Amino acid sequence: MQIRDPRHAMLPQTSAEQRSRQQAIVTLRRLLNAHVRSKNIDVFETEGKPAFVREHGRAPQSAQELEAAFHMSPGYRRWSAIMRATQEILWLEVGEPIFADLDRMRETARSLTSAPDRKGTLELDPSYTPSREVADTDIHLQPGGYALDLGNDDVAAGALYENGGNIYAFGQGFTSYDSKAGVILGMLETQFDGFRPKRILDIGCSAGTASVTYATSFPDAEVHAIDIGPAMLRYAHARAEAMGAAVHFHQMDGRALRFDDDSFDLVVSNNLMHEISNATRAQIFRESWRVARKGGVVIHQDVGILRRQNTLLAQVEKNWDHEYNGEPHWWAYATGDTVADMLAAGFPKEAIDERFIDAVGGESRRWYTVSARKPQ
Amino acid sequence: MTARVDSLIALISASRGARPASLHSVEAEEVLSIALSLVVELAAANSRIDNLERIVAAQRGQPVETLRNTAYDGADARARQDDMEALFVRALYIMLDPRQAATNASGADRAG
Repeated sequence: MQIRDPRHAMLPQTSAEQRSRQQAIVTLRRLLNAHVRSKNIDVFETEGKPAFVREHGRAPQSAQELEAAFHMSPGYRRWSAIMRATQEILWLEVGEPIFADLDRMRETARSLTSAPDRKGTLELDPSYTPSREVADTDIHLQPGGYALDLGNDDVAAGALYENGGNIYAFGQGFTSYDSKAGVILGMLETQFDGFRPKRILDIGCSAGTASVTYATSFPDAEVHAIDIGPAMLRYAHARAEAMGAAVHFHQMDGRALRFDDDSFDLVVSNNLMHEISNATRAQIFRESWRVARKGGVVIHQDVGILRRQNTLLAQVEKNWDHEYNGEPHWWAYATGDTVADMLAAGFPKEAIDERFIDAVGGESRRWYTVSARKPQ
Repeated sequence: MTARVDSLIALISASRGARPASLHSVEAEEVLSIALSLVVELAAANSRIDNLERIVAAQRGQPVETLRNTAYDGADARARQDDMEALFVRALYIMLDPRQAATNASGADRAG
């Protein structure tokens, strides 16, 4: 089943020329990753490390020294400059059709979300100031960040997230059949014996792409999804309606859920952990424990970039996103102890499982999950 | 300004934060970004040419390779060669320009 990049009414109208530019970015990113980034470790050895030794009289050892040595390599600097420019141009090519089509998209959202046969709901909280730890950064260089709100029933942040995310992912080599929600669905089937939840919470839902997948995969379940930005959520709500999915969206902070104790069969987060601090992750895990029903399942999924998967040198190379791609918490996630956070949240040690999962038709060990079933 | 330009300016203006440099020269990095944007435009232009070639070939009932292999000579060939040479001269103008780089208030170094 294709679960990435589906067609729906909330997508911006794009010209053939705009689609060509977007395809050019996908192709450029793929080639950069396959043929240029893949040589970063080599140019470290042949350029960066010798330059560091000449300057300091010894080899680089700490993460900071390895990073400094990378920057002494002309090959690494050229790749870094081109990668950063490509990411900036990505948003230009993704955003132009969105900003040009914004009035129609707003009107389509109003129409979809006020239709008599709408299936889901949207609850915005005007008193809530989006968490600065996420809202203050243009994550992945997305213009204005995840909490951008241009007013007048704006939906731009969600449209940027979905469309930019697809181009980013395809440029990373993802296939149309691989997604963050697919990881969770696969785990429910295999690790949790075909568990079929009746009430689902998706924390940090962004444009609601995974939320819709859960709603369509479990049509009898009540699906709730939360995030911090109003424009992101307006888009998510309209998108879900356009796809005929019943999802209830809420503007809410994952650190302080406004849901009752023991009220969800399945609590998930997708690609959230690397966007938040260690302290916030610990709080969200505690809230996940609190709202999960006894016998319920909690799964936190993210990208497989953990420190223990890599040598220190490879980890420093992967940490490029921290400085150049709007990922302030990238290193904290990679080096954090998610199992300790699950234990501190209340899950018993024997219930906690962590694993690395291969991408569908792509890279091995691309995804990481930490999960547990709450004891009866 | 056109509506498209307005959209692009609004989008660009929404970006926040600093732009950390990778190369030793920020100016060189900015020129690199411009060059990369032009590569993307070239890719889009090539797609349009490819589309047109395929449409024309289909209308003629011939393979697109036959259309692409169309050879011409004489005045047409000379005109094409003149256009190509002019394009390269425009691209290489900075190498041919008699004005020498000079140190000025911007702090740019004199060319060696």
